[in-house]
Amino acid sequence: MHTQRKFRPLTFADVLIYAFMIVVVLICFIPFVYMLALSLSSPEAIINNKVSLFPVGLNFAAYEQIFTYPNFFKAYGNTIFYTAAGTLISLFMSALFAYAMSKRFLFGHKLVMMLIVFSMFFSGGLIPTYLLISNLHLTGTPWAMLLPFALNQFNLIILINFFRAIPSEIEEAAIIDGLSYFGILRRVILPLSTPALATIGLYTAVFFWNDWFNGLIYLNTDQYPVMLFLRNIVNGTTMVGDGAGAADKSTIAMSIKSAVIITSTLPIIILYPMLQRFFVAGLTVGSVKG
Amino acid sequence: MTDTTILSKTPSGTYVPPNPKWRHFRRYWQLYVMMLLPLCHFLLFKYAPLIGNVLAFRRYRPGMGPYGTEWVGFAYFERFLQDPSFWRAFNNTLILSFGNILINFPIPIIFALLLYEIRSKRFRKFVQTVSYMPRFISTVVVIAILGELLSPSSGLLNRVLGSLFGMDPIYFVNEPQFFRPLYILTETWQFTGWTAIIYLAAITGVNRELFEAADIDGATRFQKVIYVTIPSIMSTIMVMLILNVGSLLSLGFEKVLLMYTPSNAMVSDIIDTLVYRTGLTNQNYSYATAIGLFSGIIGVILVSTTNWFSKKMSGESIY
Repeated sequence: MHTQRKFRPLTFADVLIYAFMIVVVLICFIPFVYMLALSLSSPEAIINNKVSLFPVGLNFAAYEQIFTYPNFFKAYGNTIFYTAAGTLISLFMSALFAYAMSKRFLFGHKLVMMLIVFSMFFSGGLIPTYLLISNLHLTGTPWAMLLPFALNQFNLIILINFFRAIPSEIEEAAIIDGLSYFGILRRVILPLSTPALATIGLYTAVFFWNDWFNGLIYLNTDQYPVMLFLRNIVNGTTMVGDGAGAADKSTIAMSIKSAVIITSTLPIIILYPMLQRFFVAGLTVGSVKG
Repeated sequence: MTDTTILSKTPSGTYVPPNPKWRHFRRYWQLYVMMLLPLCHFLLFKYAPLIGNVLAFRRYRPGMGPYGTEWVGFAYFERFLQDPSFWRAFNNTLILSFGNILINFPIPIIFALLLYEIRSKRFRKFVQTVSYMPRFISTVVVIAILGELLSPSSGLLNRVLGSLFGMDPIYFVNEPQFFRPLYILTETWQFTGWTAIIYLAAITGVNRELFEAADIDGATRFQKVIYVTIPSIMSTIMVMLILNVGSLLSLGFEKVLLMYTPSNAMVSDIIDTLVYRTGLTNQNYSYATAIGLFSGIIGVILVSTTNWFSKKMSGESIY
């Protein structure tokens, strides 16, 4: 709203607010800066507590180590696979479901809608879900990571509302041209829906990228995603680092830990500024996401 | 086109007789097929576990299916209601949840109000974007970074405390008294910016004229916030409160699991971690299912009560 610009002199409150916000920004950044510094510092500097926000004794040994560590590579590859496949499967199922559900004239529409909403409040619980998946013999297979979370009710509702907002004239024109509903979905609706699909695709991708607990309870060690690998390093289940003496071992372990942290979070941090507008769009499009 | 003598053309191009139900299916069968696969998936993975909760009332025997073999009534419920570790977990859950809501419910609101007061639009966008980045960081990474920052031997915090105040290093992560503050503060770090988006959207939706009227009445900036902004976003606040209270019992289970050490077990064991331990680690499936069911039902009661309460007080509700 470009009305007359009121020039109000900077008040004390303004200065305070600006200062506070700068502190907030720093608090968000500093943990990562510290991790980056740790991962790039030499072991002697770390032992002597010389590292604060800048690397001391620039040293890429930690990164060399993890890139030659076969389990890390496998875990990273697993994460990429789960994220890509999981997101595709989820988008596929959600698009089918949401498009069909966007037509209010279908029989059973109200019932299915109620089923969707009801399941948002009542979920099965950890043990029943685990028993179901192990009885379906999905444990120890990648499907345990990909299938159970393919459909997310929040994303479904976002997509259903989005599809409903597409003018029906477009579909009617396509029907007149002889297109089947599958064809309409593929050639007309989906191309029009890229913003919504991008939004829920990104939410889903972040979920899969960060998921570690499902890997813990359903997968074997060589199928672990990188976040679970990191967790095992942190709680000592997986030992990393090798050095001449005990002291060396622990410091190199620290820089390795920070190197794993940086590499596993880096994709998100880098892609985030470009993609964050999609995240916000999904949030404000009518459904409150927790 | 309700004239029954007219034949209708379906998307696949054939002509069909005018019986309405038949015509409906002939025309729209593809949509039903579309729905079939996802619907089966949905029923399987979201509703079959709900039925699986019947295990709370039946004895589980390995290899005999996920629904148990014989009815035992409320035996497991009686058992956990008498188990002190259950009540300890229950108390921990409540205390942690209340503390979390107490601190982390108002903070995003205040943050959103402050954000709105930033005069430079570019700076505001920048702060916003940075502030909700932590929400996309995995909990594992957050806790790993926390461990490094608070490490007694080399962590930044202990070093600063040591050099500024000469304090001995504190083993933050292990000490029980720091568990709750650490949990709550990491929640603040991760979710304040994200939650503030919702409030900020509500604040920007407030009618300008209200602010102008307040200006005419000579209100200060602060008074405008208290008397115009906050009442206008009260409906959003109430809905968020209902959602928060409703999930009182289902805390960030993953984070607690990651922060758990034997030393802080007395405060860090919550209902969900108890279910995880007794169920998955000790394979006491029926017992754990009973606890989970109990906690789920309480959650539903909480949501309904808060919802009803809010309806009475302010007319706001989520259903």
